[in-house]
Amino acid sequence: MKKAILLESVSKKYEVGSSSLEVIKSLTFDVNENEFVCIVGPSGCGKTTLLRLVSGLEPPTSGRILIFGDPPDPRKQRFGVIFQEDSLLPWRTVIGNVKFGLELQGYKESEHEKIARTYIELVGLQGFENYYPHQISGGMKKRVAIARALAINPDLILMDEPFADLDAQTRSLMQRELLNIWSKLNKTVLFITHNVEEAVFLAQRVFVLTKRPSRVKQIINIDLPYPRARLSPPFISYRERILTAFHEELEGI
Amino acid sequence: MIPIKKQYRRLRSLLFALSSVIMFFIFWELIALYSPSPYVPDPYSVLKAFITMLTVGDIDGYTLTWHALVSLERVLLGFIVGAATGVPIGMLLGIKPTLKGAVTPIIEPLRFIPPIAWIPLSIVLLIGLWRYIFLIWIGVFFPVLLDTIAGVKRTSITLIQMAKTFGADNKKIIARVIFPSSLPEIMNGLRVGLGVGWMCIVAAEMIGGEPVGLGRLILKYANLLQIDVVIVGMITIGLIGLTLNYFILLLEKRLFKWRVEIRA
Repeated sequence: MKKAILLESVSKKYEVGSSSLEVIKSLTFDVNENEFVCIVGPSGCGKTTLLRLVSGLEPPTSGRILIFGDPPDPRKQRFGVIFQEDSLLPWRTVIGNVKFGLELQGYKESEHEKIARTYIELVGLQGFENYYPHQISGGMKKRVAIARALAINPDLILMDEPFADLDAQTRSLMQRELLNIWSKLNKTVLFITHNVEEAVFLAQRVFVLTKRPSRVKQIINIDLPYPRARLSPPFISYRERILTAFHEELEGI
Repeated sequence: MIPIKKQYRRLRSLLFALSSVIMFFIFWELIALYSPSPYVPDPYSVLKAFITMLTVGDIDGYTLTWHALVSLERVLLGFIVGAATGVPIGMLLGIKPTLKGAVTPIIEPLRFIPPIAWIPLSIVLLIGLWRYIFLIWIGVFFPVLLDTIAGVKRTSITLIQMAKTFGADNKKIIARVIFPSSLPEIMNGLRVGLGVGWMCIVAAEMIGGEPVGLGRLILKYANLLQIDVVIVGMITIGLIGLTLNYFILLLEKRLFKWRVEIRA
């Protein structure tokens, strides 16, 4: 079976003036179809670069990336990317934003309305279709971004610290709802975070990255049934294991 | 129902505005009275000249309304050409910083040359209506250009990346992300450009030839030393400029309901 995501000794260097900065170095991992994988690593370790590589926004300097067997290209594959920053078009309403991906992916115009409404309902925003982004809360904006990403029926969902800017309560609510959606839709999710607890709560597997240049330091399978109780002893022991690996990297900086 | 306190505040600001207008006219009257020059008209003679210009017309028989309409036509034509060049060129320069770097040494000094200085060249180079259009264009083009560039630069990188991850090509990114995102700045540039273009009308109509236009009216009566009519022309230019600005502001309010700043 083809892997949903496959990275083979991927490196990424940026030329900064005369020197070069190696952000990612011979990174190898794979993600199975319908799997939920979290990537944690110290800040500045190239997590966002990794997401840009996987979504085909930038090519790797060396190595190979395959998405279901093909190199990533947003014009051929469907990526549902959810950014940390607010990525809604402020001049479009909620439903207009959800339709944006459908328009770009060449869905028939007659279908836009129905599909958009389905996913707005999925993320619990029915009744807010005609609100502008500045009229809704940060959590609701994230839901719109999620609805927009899901509406195009993506091959992959890529999330770059999507809940980092939210308050603690909203964040944990969004995490639970994301898991609900994931279990309903059966999608492959690559979720980047620096929040270890979030990773243990969400992921089937957690990849801990080293500091820059990033490699995979450790892969941890989280063998806990969903929904997970954050205060249960196994949850805490997973969290501690990952934190230990994580802190070794932090101390090295 | 408006609360009494708010009503009171409104009334007060209205009274203030009214009293400053009255003060202005008193001041003007005093200048007219005590000026050593016999050519300074008082408000009343300007009002009389205003009515004469509206009803009877000037020495050539053109009414004030006709002067205003002819000037408006010239300015609007110049404005259309200014917008039709300023917006696309601004988009292009905003998107391509290297190109912008290449043309900046030409554009920057050009925009400090006042329209009046272009008159001889426009007479040599162009004919008829195109001279007016060109001189108005000089006033319109640069504000539109600079604001459009600023709008393009202000476009959020996250939005562009988001569109890319959905497979948008450059054309779609420009049409669906960069252009709508820059639209508030573009509209602002158009508003300022229309104002500056309108202010260029006197310079444009210095070209001579046709006897109509508000600028022409001012120049004609300046030569006759009839300053009351000159002031009628000035006030008309001011009031029309104000109205044009107001209409664009109204349009902006309608277009940009999505902007937080304009909501209030």
